[in-house]
Amino acid sequence: MRTLYLTFHVYLAFVTKSFQKRMQYRVANLAGLTTNFFFLLVHIFVYTAFYAARTGPLSLNLNEIITYFVLCQVFFMLMPFWGARSEVTSAIKDGSVALQLTKPVDFQAYWFSDECGRACYYLLMRGLPTFLISIIFFAVAIPTQPITVMAFAVSITLATFMSAAITITVFSFAFWTLDTTGFSGLSYSIITLFSGMLVPIALWPEWLAHIAAWLPFGGLIDIPFSIYLGKITGMDIWIAIGKQMIWVVFFLGLGRILLKRGFSRLVIQGG
Amino acid sequence: MIEVNNLSKTFKVYHHRKGFFGSFMNLFSRKHRLVQAVDSVSFSVARGEIIGYLGPNGAGKSTTIKMLTGILVPTSGSVTVNGYIPHRQRKENAKRIGVVFGQRSHLWFDLPVQESFELLQRIYRIPEAQYRHNVEVFDALLGLGDFFRTPVRQLSLGQRMRADIAAALLHNPDVLFLDEPTIGLDVVAKARIREFIQQINAERQVTVVLTTHDLDDVEKLCKRVILIDNARLCFDGELAALRRLLSTERILSVDYAETYSDISIPNAQVIYQEESRVQYRFSPEAISTADLIGAILQRFKIVDISVQEPDIEELIKTVYEDNLTLAQKLAEADVIDLTNRKRIS
Ligand SMILES: Nc1ncnc2c1ncn2[C@@H]1O[C@H](COP(=O)(O)OP(=O)(O)OP(=O)(O)O)[C@@H](O)[C@H]1O
Ligand SMILES: [Mg+2]
Repeated sequence: MRTLYLTFHVYLAFVTKSFQKRMQYRVANLAGLTTNFFFLLVHIFVYTAFYAARTGPLSLNLNEIITYFVLCQVFFMLMPFWGARSEVTSAIKDGSVALQLTKPVDFQAYWFSDECGRACYYLLMRGLPTFLISIIFFAVAIPTQPITVMAFAVSITLATFMSAAITITVFSFAFWTLDTTGFSGLSYSIITLFSGMLVPIALWPEWLAHIAAWLPFGGLIDIPFSIYLGKITGMDIWIAIGKQMIWVVFFLGLGRILLKRGFSRLVIQGG
Repeated sequence: MIEVNNLSKTFKVYHHRKGFFGSFMNLFSRKHRLVQAVDSVSFSVARGEIIGYLGPNGAGKSTTIKMLTGILVPTSGSVTVNGYIPHRQRKENAKRIGVVFGQRSHLWFDLPVQESFELLQRIYRIPEAQYRHNVEVFDALLGLGDFFRTPVRQLSLGQRMRADIAAALLHNPDVLFLDEPTIGLDVVAKARIREFIQQINAERQVTVVLTTHDLDDVEKLCKRVILIDNARLCFDGELAALRRLLSTERILSVDYAETYSDISIPNAQVIYQEESRVQYRFSPEAISTADLIGAILQRFKIVDISVQEPDIEELIKTVYEDNLTLAQKLAEADVIDLTNRKRIS
């Protein structure tokens, strides 16, 4: 029990340090806020025009769509999208990852903690301001039911875990390719599309939405945001959360295998 | 402490394709050529020894260290450190070793030194008393205080190296691996680090494996050296033995009290003379140092006298330059009596 506590203590320290080291660059981070709002405005304009032209009813009303894209920007940096280049990959590339291996830590857990620290940082320094500014300027829906808020908190946490696990998995390919830009670029296009980041899955044609439902990536955006908007309710919430949990475990397992094989053929550059 | 048996490492160097499609194809490509970085190297190191692991650039030193620290998996052969197989029992091994790669820091780049240390305290589960004591001792020896709260990325090379070495020793490891710990440092910083290593080794019986291109490091720290060249081990033994092995000649410098006209001594050749200052070259096999000095004292009055050992830099250059020469010397050495020699392979 004590060992477990001490182990947790170590990785918690990694989370905090990861957070702290990013705090040193918080001013540079402000520029990122502009980008968030740029994309938010683009989405809002496009959908406002789209909704104005549209006559039939849609599964999300304009107010919900705006809320959806505000949430996208609030949590954007927590997701394994373009902005999420991990420094661990560059560490694999330049060989400094080796130095982490000389320490008695589990590498995946270390990397995972680092990603979690990163997520906390971006939630606080990027997500929160984006959210606060957005509720002033846009009609952002706020959930009223405590159960919705709680379920959303759990779901978005799982989405963050899944994001970290996916990042580790994708970047583990750096052991094989060293240059992951091509591979990760392809992965991220797929992930971005099927998470519902570009177009909410609720608006997709049925056959495509069906495919999305069988893929893990809806767990990043579609599930938590649908819970937030009250589109998933009752028992379905727990099924959706269960689905997220399964995918988190899946990606952690996959990442673990890849890392293990990667390290056994690890080529450390230079030095 | 460390047992290495027929250790080999072959790198497959893959041809890397660039660009989007290329990097995707890299996942499947199997085109490569082989580089033999370490070739059947065997040696063992006892507790408390300081080993100089030497060789020219690309000899395979860092590769060996990486296998000893569990970062690289050997292609064949066996390694044990502290009874652990480093690449299989990486974490267990890691708890008992300290590693410094001079070329890059193992501290957290964006964190102040102190916080890196505290993180290490948690990672290695170092008891508070031991942690405090070590920080105090290392601060006294290495002067960490000036930059203890500075982020690692802002440290000078010398400061960073001191922080790195201290960090590698916080958890009282049994073995310390130092891969070029004095690279790029000034004379003062080098001296400080050498002294520190010496002291830690003496006081704590820490086994040290040191690679360096600085032969002063070797002279000051290592009694025993292992030379590798071209992935192969070519010498393993005492530094003194290497010296004796490779250079049969020595130089005796004498300051005479007055300028003598005939200063010739049997079995010694005058190689330099300026007024009363003379240098003789002699071979210890032909005449022992004691006999030579005796012969001089018998005939002349002297002010000062000194014997120059062959310069280790020269020695190692000889080894590096021509393996054949070394082989020949080794063959000769078997004839000549070398009582002090420990192991030669
Ligand atoms: N990751 C790698 N992939 C392919 N070849 C490698 C790799 N690392 C090292 N090598 C090759 O293995 C050989 C030994 O390299 P190593 O780094 O062990 O040399 P070294 O003795 O440490 O040299 P130096 O004194 O320059 O540090 C070299 O020929 C090097 O090119
Ligand atoms: Mg090297």
